[in-house]
Amino acid sequence: MNPDFSSRRAFLRHTGMGMGALGLSPFLSGLNAADRSLNPLGPGQPHFAPKAKRVIHIFANGGPSQVDSFDYKPALTKYNGQEAPGGNLKTERRTGTLMQSPFKFKQHGQSGLWASDLFPKVAKMADDLCVINSMYANVPNHEPSLMLMNTGAERVNVVRPSMGSWVTYGLGTENENLPGFVSLCPGGVPIVETQNWRSAFLPGAYQGAHIDTKNSQISKLIPDIKNRRMPRELQRSQIDLIQEMNRNDQANQLHDSSVEARIHSLELAYKMQIEASDAFDVDHEPQHIRDLYGDTLHGRQMLIARRLVERGVRFVQVWHGAGQPWDSHSEIAKNHGKLGAEADQPIAALLQDLKQRGLLEDTLVIWGGEFGRTPSVELPTPGRTGPNLKLGRDHNHHGFTMWLAGGGTKGGFQYGKTDEFGYKAVENPMHVHDLHATILHLLGFDHEKLTYRYAGRDFRLTDVHGEVFHDLIA
Amino acid sequence: MTAALGSDAMANEPAPDFTAAQIEFFEKEIRPVLAEYCLDCHTGTKAKVGLQLNHRDGWLKGSDYRPIVDLENPGESLVIRSLQQVDDKDVPAMPEKGEKLPGPAIAALTEWIGQGLPWPAEGAGNETIDPANHWSFKPVAPETLPEDAGHPIDYFIHRSQETKGLTPAPRADRATRYRRASFSLLGLPPNYEEQNLFLKDDRPDEEAWADVVDTLLNSPHYGERFARHWMDVARYADTKGYEAGGRERRFVHSYTYRDWLIRAFNEDMPYDQFLLYQLAGEQLVDWKKPEREHLAALGFLSLSKSGGAQELILDDRLDTTFRGTMALTVSCARCHDHKFDPISTKEYYSLYGVFANSRIKDEPTIGAPPTGPEWEKYLAEKTAKQKAVDDYLNPILERLAEENPDIGKRPLQLLPKLTIQEKAQRDRLQRAHDTFVIDSEMEPDKAIILKDNPRPGQQAVFVRGNPARRGDIVPRQFLAIASPEPPQPFQNGSGRLEMAQAIASPDNPLTARNIVNRVWLWHFGEGIVRTIDDFGIQGEKPDHPELLDWLAHWLVENDWSIKKLNRLILTSETWQQASQSEHFEANQLIDPENRLLWQSPRRRLDLEQMRDSILAVSGTLDDTLYGRAVKILEPPYSNRRSVYAFIDRQNLNPVFRNFDFSNPQETTGQRPTTTIPMQALFTLNSDFIQDRASAFAKSSASADDRLTHLHRAAFAADPSDTDRQLADSFVTAYQSEIDSLAGRQTDSEWSYGYGQVNDETGEVTFTPFEHWTGKRWQVQEEFPVSGQPTSYLYRDHKGGHPGHNSAHSNIVRWVAPADLTLRIAGPVERKSPQGNGIRFKVVSSEEGVLLNKLLPAKAERNRSDLPEVTLAKGEQLYFIVEPHENNSNSDSFSWNVILTDLSDRYPKWDLEKSFSGPTQTADAWSAYAHALLNTNRFLFID
Repeated sequence: MNPDFSSRRAFLRHTGMGMGALGLSPFLSGLNAADRSLNPLGPGQPHFAPKAKRVIHIFANGGPSQVDSFDYKPALTKYNGQEAPGGNLKTERRTGTLMQSPFKFKQHGQSGLWASDLFPKVAKMADDLCVINSMYANVPNHEPSLMLMNTGAERVNVVRPSMGSWVTYGLGTENENLPGFVSLCPGGVPIVETQNWRSAFLPGAYQGAHIDTKNSQISKLIPDIKNRRMPRELQRSQIDLIQEMNRNDQANQLHDSSVEARIHSLELAYKMQIEASDAFDVDHEPQHIRDLYGDTLHGRQMLIARRLVERGVRFVQVWHGAGQPWDSHSEIAKNHGKLGAEADQPIAALLQDLKQRGLLEDTLVIWGGEFGRTPSVELPTPGRTGPNLKLGRDHNHHGFTMWLAGGGTKGGFQYGKTDEFGYKAVENPMHVHDLHATILHLLGFDHEKLTYRYAGRDFRLTDVHGEVFHDLIA
Repeated sequence: MTAALGSDAMANEPAPDFTAAQIEFFEKEIRPVLAEYCLDCHTGTKAKVGLQLNHRDGWLKGSDYRPIVDLENPGESLVIRSLQQVDDKDVPAMPEKGEKLPGPAIAALTEWIGQGLPWPAEGAGNETIDPANHWSFKPVAPETLPEDAGHPIDYFIHRSQETKGLTPAPRADRATRYRRASFSLLGLPPNYEEQNLFLKDDRPDEEAWADVVDTLLNSPHYGERFARHWMDVARYADTKGYEAGGRERRFVHSYTYRDWLIRAFNEDMPYDQFLLYQLAGEQLVDWKKPEREHLAALGFLSLSKSGGAQELILDDRLDTTFRGTMALTVSCARCHDHKFDPISTKEYYSLYGVFANSRIKDEPTIGAPPTGPEWEKYLAEKTAKQKAVDDYLNPILERLAEENPDIGKRPLQLLPKLTIQEKAQRDRLQRAHDTFVIDSEMEPDKAIILKDNPRPGQQAVFVRGNPARRGDIVPRQFLAIASPEPPQPFQNGSGRLEMAQAIASPDNPLTARNIVNRVWLWHFGEGIVRTIDDFGIQGEKPDHPELLDWLAHWLVENDWSIKKLNRLILTSETWQQASQSEHFEANQLIDPENRLLWQSPRRRLDLEQMRDSILAVSGTLDDTLYGRAVKILEPPYSNRRSVYAFIDRQNLNPVFRNFDFSNPQETTGQRPTTTIPMQALFTLNSDFIQDRASAFAKSSASADDRLTHLHRAAFAADPSDTDRQLADSFVTAYQSEIDSLAGRQTDSEWSYGYGQVNDETGEVTFTPFEHWTGKRWQVQEEFPVSGQPTSYLYRDHKGGHPGHNSAHSNIVRWVAPADLTLRIAGPVERKSPQGNGIRFKVVSSEEGVLLNKLLPAKAERNRSDLPEVTLAKGEQLYFIVEPHENNSNSDSFSWNVILTDLSDRYPKWDLEKSFSGPTQTADAWSAYAHALLNTNRFLFID
């Protein structure tokens, strides 16, 4: 067992104990006990030197199509409208003949990575991308696949801590004035809802703070971030009174870390009001940066994501929207086209902006959905009518694409392969558990040792699975 | 004995004696081959497919799926065929990675299998812990106390303290103990008057204290506190968890279980009975008699998650049962034999069979059946909504029955054949019905119960937890490790009642220890065993094993009475001692974690204690017992106790977990204790707490001595001299600050109104708007004001409209909070091509008119930018829109003003973003009362 983590657990269970006691506990040798006892989000100790210090996970929820974005399959054009030799793989619904991509592919950058004009601006960043064409998951349904991608456990009624919670549990936050894990999702929540960023059996300090970025008023973004009945100067005088009473009472008592911690957290809360408001206010950005991201919902939330990681938030998830926006069962050209147009510039801007600030080096950017889509056309479900039920693609978990950027990954690197048509991962297949193991490795953790004792056993993000794919690491 | 107790009998047979030559053959020819080719993947508890090749039992047992050796025909063994990589799709080629084994090695292995797998004795088992010797599986063995032992708890605690050289803290003062007891037993703060009775009681302390404890135990609020503890164990929630398709997730009758718990604790139901009702109550009571109220107890099992796979729902019930009542992690054996505890997968499925044959089929009425016209009306509407579902579904089912003659008229099997659209429509109609029923709150109290299948089905092991892979059939029976005699198959129905009896038995080594440990946790913040819901081999050992056993035995002897146990604990010196003493320094060197309880642990109020205290001290608490759940974190905020809070299992408001509330997805033994700024944000800023603080302040308004009134309510104590000084200076300073803000229309530097500027002198007359609509400021409620020059005057966050003439220009005023140099920026727009345009001006109270521009009707937009304006503190800026030449036709405008501090000390002032309604500034006494609710004195228990 890793000593740092047993101590972290011990800390979490025993914060009621005296500070002196903590300081003397053999568990805590080598740790900054004072920081820990004041805040469970205090910086944690990775197992080895991390390459990435923070994560932005751009979640294209609904399942973006790999063969229309980053997995170039010329055979689809050749066999367009024909049965796939060897037949279609079974996913959720019936699919028909192979369907060529309505998007044009070309090679980009010095690396010559293939990308379609669904993401023209992201494609320009090709030399920074580490594209994994051989991802696979277990089933072609949104709920379990979202759970798998976010928590490593796909059964919808088995609630496990999310990846962001695990990472925050492991690393804490670099800025106590902000939540350690923030989930930006405009307009509501994705499928399976808040379970996507739950801390489950980990303490609530590690749960993701959901921010509906459709609100532009800061006071509506974070509950209770502003006192509506007390201007800041008056609130300061109120907190001063509270602290004065606390110190008077404390003077009659021996040192006690839980009491100390609360005195400290009042000050943190006071600062958080200012700092959080500031972090979410993109109007503080110079015009050229705002122009870079674009004055759109997705532009703003991607810019917020950068402002958050820059301020020390450990894990930021950026969802495309409520529900399952990338789920284009029909009219892939139109529907994916619209989503790509929304996401392309903001994502490219994020990469470019992180890079120009030197942040991309140790910020891991993850892009992808919960699975991909079929290379064959989805057939209309019997009984379902309407003019738009055509030229869409169904869910596909056998093979899909995700990309990583920064955070110690290889730039301009293409990894793994699906078959000729983009159905199934056939070369260097990488399961979602492997992705998790690799992400934790980049963050400095042995995924088998980042554990939490609960219900009689040591749980981990990767359960009993997962392998680190060193080929992806620079 | 090995840890493999309960697993395959074959694996437990003693190894035969092998000759020295055979062992040498193994060491020379076999062991190196295993090490090189096999053991990377097939070792110990992490072995692939459950196949452990690092010990002889593993070879005999085979994989989770099938045996691998055939001792009679070694060459036909699966392992040999695998290594030969024969062309057979049922035989996996081994090794999975790397090269094929050399022929001689395969031959040696074949030979070795033929010899009966010779293996040296010391390597025969993979675990050497004997579970029969593990403390929690041994029978409870109470020590006999000497005559002069005194209080039994202190006897044990002091004995272990003495051996370590620890000195306990002295007894805490009466006020401290009273407060602690009130929170511990009722979850409520002490009442000043009642506490005073104890403080002034001149009987011996022991006598007076015993009365206090009894009085508190007899309060109906005791049941509310203890019910909430058990609700953590029972993973109580008012919703079913995730359900796709927009189905109604709320339970209609979850509250009847919670109310049953409150009554059970208040009536001090014997704990064994308490468990029996919760596990098999429907088989214990006469449904026709009032005792049918106990049916509600089955909520312990039935209020589980309901979406998703059946085996996981049942696993949740099984896990809650065994972790909750026996601190045993049986669930670990769902996919493989428990890695640490003597629980085999077969035993798991023996218990699973009990749950699989107990289904929710019925919701019998336990309350009074309602009558009257309202009920009739409700019933008619409910029936109509149900009919809508049936009328939609029945023709479809009939059609499907015709189309599928093989299924016939069996709706359960036909339902999956509905199309997506039909399912959606069915769900919509069903939801309309369900939501109506819940929202009406007209249903009588009902119990959500389980019933045994009349003809219970046989249960097979699900290989590696996969229901599609059936293994051996197993009998429904109890766990060997917790049975005094070898377990026998259950005889009646699912066997659930027999299982309940085996759990609630005095002979069960875990049950009494478990509840004693939990009650200890609820009073001390830590259990005697610190791993609350894991008494297994991986769990911690008890800090005071003799005490635990003595208490477990004592509880059974005392009718399993939880109240008696509480009384015993609260009358001990150990519980009554102070939270600090002069021995702190010395003690903490010896026992830094205070495991031997040499002082009382200081604790922060949990979410419920905190919220209930705020309600209680502010005089707003509604202390009604029982009833349907209430929302406590959304307006209109309920004033009921937190135990009645609506718990949304799937989307629990993050505030709950921010305050370390239990996770309602799974049974929770112990909540974490964290301190994070989000907690303070809630207590400082939430409307709920500020409303209560205002009420608290108001309650003191008529008192002669407000401060004394507030302190007695909040702390059950009079204010000290220092408290008085602090309060005086705070209230005075706060009041004067408010006075200086008086006349402010809003809480910001901005105010909104109308008036006129003299272009020559720069003098501005400004009248603030008096009416706020909730979205915008205007002159009065009537809009537009007919026949007056104020007419269409208003301002909202974007812009507004001027009055008829320049004397009624639209004006926004901004007051500088400090000496500043600013940049002023902002676009002005006037969209309409009608009329003759507007004039917009920026005026400083010191410098006069800084900008004066015409925006003609056709121009649409202009800017109000000024690169640098220096202001003194208190100086005002006016942003004025005047109807050009007194023609206000179509003069709607938008104008956002952004002020940037050039020294960058202040964030930007942005008119649009900071636009607000009237000031709501808390008055000084509300702010003071609110501060008290945020002090550590209020939030901690000594």
